[in-house]
Amino acid sequence: MQNRECIRAEVTAALVDLFELDPARVVPQARLYDDLEIDSIDAIDLIDRLRQVSGEKITAEQFRAVRTVDDLVDALHRLLNER
Amino acid sequence: MSQNAGGASDTDRRTDAFAWRLVATGLSFALFGIGGLLLGVSLVPVLLAISGNRVIRRQRVRRAIQLSFRSFIGIMRGLGVLTYNLRGFERLGRPGQLVIANHPSLIDVVFLIAFTPGAACVVKQAVWTNPAMAPGVRGAGYVPNHPTDSMIERAAAALDEGQTLIMFPEGTRTSPGEPLRFHRGAAAVATRAASVVTPVFISVMPTTLTKAAPWYRIPSRRPHFDLAVGEDLDPNPLRTAMPGPRAARALNEELLAIYACRTSAG
Repeated sequence: MQNRECIRAEVTAALVDLFELDPARVVPQARLYDDLEIDSIDAIDLIDRLRQVSGEKITAEQFRAVRTVDDLVDALHRLLNER
Repeated sequence: MSQNAGGASDTDRRTDAFAWRLVATGLSFALFGIGGLLLGVSLVPVLLAISGNRVIRRQRVRRAIQLSFRSFIGIMRGLGVLTYNLRGFERLGRPGQLVIANHPSLIDVVFLIAFTPGAACVVKQAVWTNPAMAPGVRGAGYVPNHPTDSMIERAAAALDEGQTLIMFPEGTRTSPGEPLRFHRGAAAVATRAASVVTPVFISVMPTTLTKAAPWYRIPSRRPHFDLAVGEDLDPNPLRTAMPGPRAARALNEELLAIYACRTSAG
């Protein structure tokens, strides 16, 4: 899941499954907290899920600056292609 | 004796040795601060230095805190500051048990820690910088409530290890008259890791040591603390039926509904 499109698909699937969101709402500019109502408690489950699907040891700390769906995809993309 | 169910107002006649209770309440606060400081700088380091692995030392500190809190409650009762009644506490202290409670007064946590054997507790972050309390909470391996994500992970890890954990889902004391609100943190911890969730219902009549009043605004009558352990809730069906965030939301709603019914008098 290293390319950007695959990452976007995984992120969207995670958001839809975990939070029962309408996939149509999960647009790149959607703000996780303000638009999708995903708070810091939800973020832990989201990161757990992304950890499972990516197989990487990612931590909440690495996503502190994330605001939108696109930010999340970018951050994950960076982490998975770093090494 | 006249009974007024609505709690004390300023117009109530001052009874139950009001002036003495005011002095004794002040003494209790002083005792808590000084006692905490003395135990923190003298006893806790000794308890931690005696042999034993991390878990043994931690449980030793918890035992000391428990005994101190029991003594403190006994002293307050002896001084006539309060009366109390406990029901069902023999069902607390099981492995992986999450004990939750409403939070009407400052000393709820003192009661729960005093009477729940060997439990960990989620405590507000500020306590870790309080000189009287920091050594104790550190030595006892309690869990700071901030930041939320690490609180949830540490709380869940404690339950996974088989510890009993105490949490106050309101996060802070109830403001009298305001609707009850629960942070989802406790429900998130429960659906992640609790073997069983056991609610404790605390009622204080008349209200005292609330968030809204300073310590010296004591009630006109001697307050009575009633702590009743409720029926166990099993988080497993929710956990297996839906993903974490939905399970936590569902459990939070369930808990809130249970508490709204049981504590509506407060």
